[in-house]
Amino acid sequence: MSASPPLAPPSARPRAAVPAALIVGAASIATLVVAWQVVAMAGIVPARVLPTPLDVALRFATLAVETFSGSTLEGHALASLTRWVIGAACAIALGIPLGVALAWLPPLRPVIAPAFELLRFIPPFAWVPIAVLWFGASTTTQALIVFIAAFPACVINAHLGVSLVDPILPRAAAMLGAGGVATLRRVVLPVAAPSIFTGVRIAFSNGWMALVGAELVVGKQGLGFLISQGQINDSVTTIMVGMIAIGALGALIDFGFQRVERAWLPWLAFGAKRAS
Amino acid sequence: MARVRREARIVTRDAAPTPHIAHSAAVGAVSPRDASPAPVPKLELRGIAKTFRTDHGDVEALAPCDLAVREGELVMVVGPSGCGKSTLMSIAAGLEAPTSGEVRVDGRPAGPAGPQRTVVFQRFALFPSETVEGNIAFGLTVAGVARAEREARVAEQLELMGLARFRRAWPHELSGGMQQRVAIARALAVRPEILLMDEPFGALDAQTRTVLQGEISRLRRVMNYTVLFITHSVEEAVYLGDRVVVMSSRPGRIRRDIAIPHDEPWRGLEIEDASTREEFIRYKREIWELIRTEIVRE
Repeated sequence: MSASPPLAPPSARPRAAVPAALIVGAASIATLVVAWQVVAMAGIVPARVLPTPLDVALRFATLAVETFSGSTLEGHALASLTRWVIGAACAIALGIPLGVALAWLPPLRPVIAPAFELLRFIPPFAWVPIAVLWFGASTTTQALIVFIAAFPACVINAHLGVSLVDPILPRAAAMLGAGGVATLRRVVLPVAAPSIFTGVRIAFSNGWMALVGAELVVGKQGLGFLISQGQINDSVTTIMVGMIAIGALGALIDFGFQRVERAWLPWLAFGAKRAS
Repeated sequence: MARVRREARIVTRDAAPTPHIAHSAAVGAVSPRDASPAPVPKLELRGIAKTFRTDHGDVEALAPCDLAVREGELVMVVGPSGCGKSTLMSIAAGLEAPTSGEVRVDGRPAGPAGPQRTVVFQRFALFPSETVEGNIAFGLTVAGVARAEREARVAEQLELMGLARFRRAWPHELSGGMQQRVAIARALAVRPEILLMDEPFGALDAQTRTVLQGEISRLRRVMNYTVLFITHSVEEAVYLGDRVVVMSSRPGRIRRDIAIPHDEPWRGLEIEDASTREEFIRYKREIWELIRTEIVRE
């Protein structure tokens, strides 16, 4: 019956070449560390200014077990992560529905868009002083800064994703008998999901960066606070441990989220994208 | 001209403002109801007109159109591009509201779009986040059809359209022809009363199109669907239609309504054989002549 050209069996989806990518990634980081070691050992700059990777690794081990500025390294990391999770979760929980609603219910746009556009151009750090006056140097303050940094990306990308859904798809759903809710849940949101996920990824990193910034200015705990204490104590190794921890945790969050995205959006052929 | 028409036994008439019934010989082999004197049409478009508001003023896309499709009949609509064929289809489906006029099913106002009238779109319009099975089951799922029944009907469609091997594939993994098979299966799975096809093979390559045309022709002999089928291919219209409705250029109106009897000698042949037959070519020429006049007039 079928005269259409044969195609690969559906199970043969492209799979990421994990080993090769892993080797290249490790080599890239190793090169960076080796270069750093060479420069540090060359004696061009004093060790107080640029310690060797080994010094930093030792400091890392020390901070992992000893209390510094009120907490161990894990304690500071946990404090940062807690604030970040609260702020980012609120941004996602409010931002995605708002973005979807703006695209799906056109009458909302003229009501909400102007206020949103005005507020989103106030940088997260400009909110620090007022947040401190309102909530003190608390988790709430830090989480609020994360929220402010993460919220617009959620709204804008959810709005974009839903606006770009081909109008023929809701029509197809309607002619098959789907109501508004079923169309949104089963057709529009899945199709908009890649854009929504991109928004969440951007929100995560924006929130993380804003958090560390806010911790540098205000706070009694957290990785940003650890760095600022390192500066006060004239300890470059402490600063570097903090910086590496911030970078590594941020990358880890992003990596983990990409795995979640792949698991949730199985119809997207990652690595071999084709227009549908 | 008149002589040609007689020889080819083409039954034509200028479009009447009121619904009419095609020559009984044209539908005798298809319609279960051909003997009844004046049955209520399955699908009826009454005075359907559409005017679009634009920044440059109103554009009349569709002049008032009357069209009646009897139960079990396949009516092909052809016309020059931009004549409002697709607008006519959207209105018939309930996906667009007419500026004036009314769509009726079984003599009653048709209401909004729904599984009673399903559509096969030119661009397939499959749901990318659903598998082949999920797409075919979609209408049944939103209607709350029980799982066992749903799976049985999906299996039936997979079998019918030759899709069983691809049931778990994602739409983007399929060729255009296979995607359109899924779209047809999806439209049939809800057991619609009327099937609306909006240039369904227009986006396919010539070979795939020929195969699918043959399959629609075969399907028609198995199942007795009422079909309104939009196309820009005169050949496809003559090959598949019980009637061919020719539309004028914009604003679209129905120019001619041509019945194609079911006992034509080329019926049952594949399209590439049928289209070489003298009788087939006469229909084609007649219809093409009408369309050419419309294009020139514009």
